[in-house]
Amino acid sequence: MTTTETDRLAVEPPAPDAFDVASVVQDHRVHGSVYTSPEIFQRELDTIFRTGWVYVAHESEIAESGDYLTRRIGSEPVVVVNSKDGKIRVLLNRCSHRANRLCNADAGNANSFRCPYHGWTFSNDGSLTAVPMRDGYGTEFQKVRSQLGMAEAPRVDSYGGFIFASLAPEGITLLEHLGGATKAIDRVLDLSPTGKIELRAGWMKHLHHANWKMVVENNVDGYHALFTHASVYDAIRPAKVSHIPTKVDVVVRDIGSGHSEIDYSAEYRKLDEEFVWYGRIPRAKLPEYVAALEERHGPEKAHDALVVGPSHTLIWPNLFLAEMNVMYVEPIAADETVAYTTAVIIPGQDKLNQRTLRRSEGAMGPAGFLIADDGEIGMRNQAGLAAHDPEWLELSRGVETDVIDETGVVNSDKSAETPQRGFYRQWASVVGQEIRA
Amino acid sequence: MTITTEATQNVLAGPLPVPDPDVTAFIYYEARLADEARYSEWEQLWDDDALYWVPMHPDDDPRTTLSYIYDNRNRIKSRVAQLNTGNRHSQTPPSVMRRVLGSHEVIATEGDTVTVASNFVLVEYRHDQRTWAGRVLHKVRRTPSGLKLAGKTVHLVSAGGPVNTLAFLI
Repeated sequence: MTTTETDRLAVEPPAPDAFDVASVVQDHRVHGSVYTSPEIFQRELDTIFRTGWVYVAHESEIAESGDYLTRRIGSEPVVVVNSKDGKIRVLLNRCSHRANRLCNADAGNANSFRCPYHGWTFSNDGSLTAVPMRDGYGTEFQKVRSQLGMAEAPRVDSYGGFIFASLAPEGITLLEHLGGATKAIDRVLDLSPTGKIELRAGWMKHLHHANWKMVVENNVDGYHALFTHASVYDAIRPAKVSHIPTKVDVVVRDIGSGHSEIDYSAEYRKLDEEFVWYGRIPRAKLPEYVAALEERHGPEKAHDALVVGPSHTLIWPNLFLAEMNVMYVEPIAADETVAYTTAVIIPGQDKLNQRTLRRSEGAMGPAGFLIADDGEIGMRNQAGLAAHDPEWLELSRGVETDVIDETGVVNSDKSAETPQRGFYRQWASVVGQEIRA
Repeated sequence: MTITTEATQNVLAGPLPVPDPDVTAFIYYEARLADEARYSEWEQLWDDDALYWVPMHPDDDPRTTLSYIYDNRNRIKSRVAQLNTGNRHSQTPPSVMRRVLGSHEVIATEGDTVTVASNFVLVEYRHDQRTWAGRVLHKVRRTPSGLKLAGKTVHLVSAGGPVNTLAFLI
């Protein structure tokens, strides 16, 4: 570099962050590029997945010391590990020497991770414990060696067994982030006699040829079921409660901070019938489970828990509590997403759990009666976005009937696009932030 | 990556018998009906105690582990009924498919029922061309009304995922 060039670079002010979020997200509408632009996709990785809380794993998956899982936060590979000191860590899955991906199994148990390239070894707390032929390094290396542990997500916290991590050293706490969404986690935990659930039945990994937001938004879209899933209701069984909004007390809710849900609880309480959400099975078929739940809650609260059932709630940005299933998504590219799905396992309730597994297979995953079609529709959304006109997607349904209460923005028409509006308010605030160089 | 052959055959040593020609023909017929989206005819092949299983891992215990597909006879009926609506979007229109089955080996015989393991390659064309492959186990039963399918287990090479939408009859 010549002196002149150096001088020019030194005096030039840093490029302003030119991204104007208002050009792609406005009241009740979203620009098509939000789903297709590689630049916006990268910006999402840099903001949503680099600065905020992201769901990474469940404590039941790494219950014992040394248990680990490999996951991703946005595009970054991580190891979620129950370290030898009992602390759950989220380590970046990269050798500090030449960047080899250290941990290559989906899951396992290990005291240490040894890089297969040059044998550098890291304790499962991330610290560098061995460098082969270390005498070949000079004193300069010895000065920095202690800093060459695996990088670690600076903040890791959990709620109800759900582990979240943030790659940003500072920011709001997990509880502040979750806000009213903790109630959705509580609601599924209320169905367990031990107050705990397990996610240990294996994850179905389903490739969606759609933007990750299409996949997650769809989960709280109360408008599509009657059309997208008509084949299920026509051929197999009617919907658990009507999808015609005027006939049911089902609401959609923007909980705030991007969290949103379809809430059937008022309708179920009106019916006052247990297990409507579970194929209307009579309680007599699950006597051990019902007895154990009554033991925990008392008959009245147990009855209520069995009436209202689990939540149908999207937790920003990547976790979906899908009633007795849990789904999370990994964004791969602007037009590609992997959805991971498993069933909610209630400890000690084998009979119930087997039934849950079969229900989960029926509905969810690549061959599921519901999600296979959601995948197809998502792919066609992405295909349709290639048409440049109209430029915007409409999300105004129900905007005049939204009501604000202590739980958030609520619409008593389940087909209202209230959840999506909440999602994009959060999206605009996070993705629209100035990115520091 | 998983080596499915060992798990699905319990490391059977030595060469194994080939199936009787009518059993092989039955397996080919099953494949053809699936390829051609002849759902109701395909459903008729199944016996009452049917199990159509596509696990995520060959060693999985379905009592504690989720599978891609774990259909009993009743759910097979539902799956076919959904496909027959013509409104199963992920198979509307149906994928164009052809599969090749080979290396048939009899891995178990119990009374009137024989289990045949085969390797397969399936080419699916929908919006683009996709290839699926794996090891398929057909449990075929001789009954007074002819051969019936009592079980079909599909160990996908790609079972570790991520897998594409699998709404057709694999």
